[in-house]
Amino acid sequence: MSKRQLAMVMDLNKCIGCQTCTVACKTQWTNRNGREYMYWNNVETYPGTGYPKNWMDLGGGFDEAGDLQPGIIPNLEADYGVPWDYNYDSLQGGASFEPNVEPTWGPNWDEDEGAGSFPEDNYFFYLPRICNHCTNPGCLSACPRDAIFKREEDGVVLVDLDRCQGYRYCIAGCPYKKIYFNPKISKSEKCILCFPRVEQGLPPACAQQCVGRIRFVGFKDDTEGQVYKLVEKYKVALPLRSDYGTQPNIFYVPPTESPAKFDANGKIIEGSTRLPIEELEKLFGPEVHGAIKTLKAEMKKRKETGESELMDILIAYQHSDMFRLDNTYYQQVAKDKGRNPLAPVDNRYIAGKFTKPNNEINFYHDGGHGNIGGHH
Amino acid sequence: MKKLVNSLLAASVIVSALLGDSSIEATKVSSNIDTINCKDDIWKSADFSKVTLYPQTTIKFNDKKANEINAKNKAIVAEIAAVYNNSKIAFMIKWPDGTQSIQQNDKTDTYSDGFAIQFASNYSNPKKLPYIGMGSEGREVVVHLQKETSKTYEPNGNGNVAYQVNPNQTDLFGKDLEKYNDLVKTLGTRDYERTFVSEGFRSMSEIKDGSSKSFARIAYTGDGWKGTLSRPLKDEYLNLNSAVIPVAFAVWDGDKLGRNGLKYLSAWTAVELEGKPGSDALLSALYSDVKGDAKRGKDIATANCSACHQLTSRDAANLMGPSLTNIGGYSTIDYLKESLMNPSAVVVPGYNRNAHSNYAWYNIDNGKRVSSMPGFDWMSAQEIDDIVAYLKTLKVEVENAQ
Repeated sequence: MSKRQLAMVMDLNKCIGCQTCTVACKTQWTNRNGREYMYWNNVETYPGTGYPKNWMDLGGGFDEAGDLQPGIIPNLEADYGVPWDYNYDSLQGGASFEPNVEPTWGPNWDEDEGAGSFPEDNYFFYLPRICNHCTNPGCLSACPRDAIFKREEDGVVLVDLDRCQGYRYCIAGCPYKKIYFNPKISKSEKCILCFPRVEQGLPPACAQQCVGRIRFVGFKDDTEGQVYKLVEKYKVALPLRSDYGTQPNIFYVPPTESPAKFDANGKIIEGSTRLPIEELEKLFGPEVHGAIKTLKAEMKKRKETGESELMDILIAYQHSDMFRLDNTYYQQVAKDKGRNPLAPVDNRYIAGKFTKPNNEINFYHDGGHGNIGGHH
Repeated sequence: MKKLVNSLLAASVIVSALLGDSSIEATKVSSNIDTINCKDDIWKSADFSKVTLYPQTTIKFNDKKANEINAKNKAIVAEIAAVYNNSKIAFMIKWPDGTQSIQQNDKTDTYSDGFAIQFASNYSNPKKLPYIGMGSEGREVVVHLQKETSKTYEPNGNGNVAYQVNPNQTDLFGKDLEKYNDLVKTLGTRDYERTFVSEGFRSMSEIKDGSSKSFARIAYTGDGWKGTLSRPLKDEYLNLNSAVIPVAFAVWDGDKLGRNGLKYLSAWTAVELEGKPGSDALLSALYSDVKGDAKRGKDIATANCSACHQLTSRDAANLMGPSLTNIGGYSTIDYLKESLMNPSAVVVPGYNRNAHSNYAWYNIDNGKRVSSMPGFDWMSAQEIDDIVAYLKTLKVEVENAQ
């Protein structure tokens, strides 16, 4: 376990599935260099196949005794989907609008389909997912090379690309399938919780860009922070599929309200609710009952008295309150360790017990015109 | 010496059936073998020895599909020859493989065929060779790995991913950008040849500073692979100037999703450098008779070992302790003895305690791994020999013995 742990809360009542978070992440990190197919952040429709296809059935995670379970490595075409493009350039010459590969599958192939039958009882909600930066990561446990590490300073789970040999056991081990194989460089890559931004006091791009303001980011031990209040004080934010045993650090405020069902004549069935509680139990565990109860009680309290700290938090008035990243903390850590920014690589092996230290790691490309491919 | 050992082995049919392989004789040549490949004429006259490679089953990994595909693997036989000159030693390994598998740079679930040759850093005491699975604490190995891969994307060509930059993110335009892209393309075809130093699998570190010079090639022949490796007899990691050196071989089958521990590996094999002075203690350590009675050993092992170890796949739960189902194939008599008497001498290094908190193979005491297995030093020497004789029989059959 790390000394401190960054966490995120996502309020599912407010997610409208606009994919702004997905795009923010993609343009920042995954639109290049073999990551094109990856969505470190995705928003899927629940119920649905999800991304990659049927990820909940692909194994990984731990059993009750604490042993890692075997898993399946998804196939690019069948499970993730090949990112396709269109022939925009040939359109001027009179060509018809065609994709460059025949699309057979992709993320959100079944977007907004949900379950049930329209108009009686159909339903769905959106489930945004990033790496859970677990306290007991399945990916880390699966790696036979110690190439995955959890940062002491904030619990962010990172792949040391220098050690990674592309075996892909991490992908089998992660029950959320939130670590991906980059086939161009033959190494595993994943959500880094935008650590270069976080270290500068900025929230991850997905959280910053969220138009519904559903995402809260902060340290779990910061009792003044909204993340702490949602998770620990009010216990309305719950981890996704905690039965996988990885102790996720991304928490969800479950969808509380859903419309009533219609009967055969199109009349509202009073007191009914479209969202089956069993589905929410499957995702968030039995604690979901308590969470929904608290949310409803606080909603009522707010309506009656005009006051509720919980509702004020969920309304998300100020980014400055939603994101508590403790900039000074990172500056202090960097100062104490004599480096800035924090090392993006694992330092257990970098000093090289057997081999000489590698080139000093510089996270930014400094190649000018005359310096392409140069050693340092 | 090889002939002597062979005739010794021939004296007992039972013993030779247990031991199987013989040593490899490295012939001295005068020609330059710095950049030798499998087409070189030297190999035409070379004396190839058969070395059996067993499926690695000590540690089980968490890839469900791969575990299913590899559940019933048999052993394969490689043919290996070696030559050396004043400064270099070269190996050629031929092994059967019905499919040519190359990891694709646009797929997430394909793997490459390949081979590795492992050398012990210190082999002065043949009774304490490094653990066969990439060394062990205090007993380092050097591993040369060659795989067949498709083009990799390495804009800077030195494997340093921290510097990778998309063309769109350079500040280059027009001709400069074309030049950059051409350079990326050239560098992107980097040969997948790597050298590692390892003191147990998890600690394996790639030598990236150019201090290890080697030349490896691999070629598919239609029904198998030919691989060659040339390396210095002496560098800062190894000194192979000796009459007999221990070498181990491994091959991967990409079609069976092979990578890392999902491989076939040999036991430590003796390579005799024709004409070099030195002790031949290693030969007798690797090829001498097992003094025990395997039948008696089976009873003792069943009573004492099978609660934690899989002797056959019907015994203890997988990962309760290291699986011994192929231990006879890839371990030496001395290793087995040492592990019985002093289990903490070598703790299987590839095991991930994090992943199996229910089965603690070892604990860490003052930074040192202490095996959970009790020592069996209370047994009589005969009983230990009997167990070892039995353990040496634990290995799968050879695939389609030709």
